Amino acid sequence: MPDPRNDRTQIERAIARALAQGRISRRRFLRQAGKGGLITASALSLPAILAACGISPSSAGTGSAVSSASGAPVGGELSGELIFANWPLYIDQDEDTGESPTLDQFTEATGSTVDYQEAIQDNQEFFGTIQPQLEAGEPTGWDMIVMTDWMVGNMINLGYLEQIDVAASVPNFVANADDKYKNPSYDPNNLHSVPWASGYTGIAYNPELTGREITGFADLLDPEFEGRIGMFSEVRDSLSLALLHNGVEPKDATEDDVRAANEVLKEQAPLVRGYYGNEYAQELASGSLAVTMAWSGDVFQLQFDNPDLRFIIPEAGGILWIDNMCIPKGAAHPADALAMMDFVFQPEIAAQMAEYINFICPVPAAQDIIRQHAEEAESEEDRDYYTAVAESPLVFPTAEDLAKVHSYKVLSEEEEALWNELFQEVTQG
Amino acid sequence: MAGWLRQHRGLIPYLFLLPGVLWLLVFFVLPMLAMASVATQEGTLGTGFRQTFNVGVFPEVLDRYAPHFLRSLEYALVVTLLTIGIGFPMAYTIAFRGGRYKNVLLLLVIMPFFTSFVIRTISWKFILADQGFVLGTLKDAGIVDEGFRILATPAAVISGITYNFLPFFVLPMYVALERIDYRLVEAATDLYASRLQAFLRVTLPLSIPGLFAGSLLTFIPAAGDYINAELLGGTRDTQMIGNVVQTLYIVNRDYPHAAAVSLILMVALLVGVVAYRRVLRGQELTV
Repeated sequence: MPDPRNDRTQIERAIARALAQGRISRRRFLRQAGKGGLITASALSLPAILAACGISPSSAGTGSAVSSASGAPVGGELSGELIFANWPLYIDQDEDTGESPTLDQFTEATGSTVDYQEAIQDNQEFFGTIQPQLEAGEPTGWDMIVMTDWMVGNMINLGYLEQIDVAASVPNFVANADDKYKNPSYDPNNLHSVPWASGYTGIAYNPELTGREITGFADLLDPEFEGRIGMFSEVRDSLSLALLHNGVEPKDATEDDVRAANEVLKEQAPLVRGYYGNEYAQELASGSLAVTMAWSGDVFQLQFDNPDLRFIIPEAGGILWIDNMCIPKGAAHPADALAMMDFVFQPEIAAQMAEYINFICPVPAAQDIIRQHAEEAESEEDRDYYTAVAESPLVFPTAEDLAKVHSYKVLSEEEEALWNELFQEVTQG
Repeated sequence: MAGWLRQHRGLIPYLFLLPGVLWLLVFFVLPMLAMASVATQEGTLGTGFRQTFNVGVFPEVLDRYAPHFLRSLEYALVVTLLTIGIGFPMAYTIAFRGGRYKNVLLLLVIMPFFTSFVIRTISWKFILADQGFVLGTLKDAGIVDEGFRILATPAAVISGITYNFLPFFVLPMYVALERIDYRLVEAATDLYASRLQAFLRVTLPLSIPGLFAGSLLTFIPAAGDYINAELLGGTRDTQMIGNVVQTLYIVNRDYPHAAAVSLILMVALLVGVVAYRRVLRGQELTV
């Protein structure tokens, strides 16, 4: 009978032979391995290493970095290259080729090729990847990045963004952008940024599962929905909605306000199924969540599969967040970045992108262009789609909705640490 | 070179060890020391962290995150017991009754590794969704209550970790059982041992090395897991210590506390392993 163990004994014998040839018994081999480890470890003095490993401060703390206020706006000649980091699914894409018509047209118009990468999943996380270079005064490798308003505010405070002169370099922004994007509180006079797209943080629900209309944040606190309520893991979103629920404008929130709002979230926590990032959308679509905090554009897209889903801005108020194009300090191709900023504020390009992105389009004139696309559409399906985009208050907001939304607070470092610490008690106990 | 080596035979073991030692030094010892250093620093990202040898951070985080430490150890313990319950009979059957299907069965055990860990866990989310095809069907048939759910419960997290780490137990267990000389068992029964006695007094003691290695390979990563708790749990009462480290490090960017929590977890596991080794009567970590 063939013994299956034969194979192993053969291998073992081979190893034993190899070891024996070196005249090292297995036991000795192991003992020497132990010694080797000790020798190497003792060569390094522990206290020396402990003291050497420090984390140096961000430049804002020391004031050593070139202050953005004193820097001149970037400009110059096009270099023919643009390295652009953006969020996933945040630019138009041809279904067949996978290429972006906007980027192709940009290359055609300017001769500048774009290395477009969907590198940003999260403001904090992406900031973490470029912060060491910015702190050391080295280029990040990106010419243009898209960051949310509060992060733009942070980066300006840290002196991490190049200054731009919108009047000279981004005239289409001045001519075509909605007034509400001009001179925002996080970046006065748009000295460092122009919007890419924006959206609401509000509440989405599935009426079939809730069995009733949802009107405000109080519905997220209803024990009836235990285990089917979704909240955001993003501290600013969750705490801002709770602040508004308490009747506090997030921008003016004091420490006491934040603590009170956090108590609301802590009481709510046993009812909450999870604290989500982008993945809440799947949970809502799959029916695991009945009511959840949501971002407007996601719900607009989910509605094509499930027309019942609804998005509301809470009675007490929602958040309008703005994602912005900006140029990190030391970018190699700033003129190409400026050209891109200007390019996307042409109404035709803005319309083309809004048809794909489905978040709020910063160019009001794009609405009529999308309506025109609907009229010219070849199939009924396309016409319905373009009409839905052009007429959706989630893409071209109504004055009524805009009156109900507020901005994030730009947090100082101490405030951010406090908010994070408080909110961790909500999400993790 | 060959001639030189012949003259200095004593150096050969060190040369053999060099790559491994360097590897451990660069990717284990140095990060560990850096972590120890960061843990005792104070400050914020904006103002920089300064070394203040603040050892008070250890009792502080131990107190603050005690429920998470305990929950992680509790989950890991349940997971290990479950994998032993599921994996031991599996390994036993493959080793002693597998016959010519042994290799196929072993391949099936490691098959899940051909797909990414995260993808496998996410697919459980789809399978077990409240209105997904399993629960949706059961609910439509009226077998379970409309509000019933599996996801976002401790049971889901524990099941997920058990599923993901089962092969880590089965493989060493199989190796240990497979090398048992079956004639010893036969001899025991020839000498009037019942099958149960033969198992308890021959097979089981001889399989202890596999049990030891397999349970450690399950328990240690299970205690540090955060993917399952994140994807299959997500509620406040399913947060494990791994989730705390992740939040402290990536979200709060509070590096000292994150490093302190990691160090405590590591030391706790180390102490646990040593104690466990004593319980199993001085087994070596090798199979």
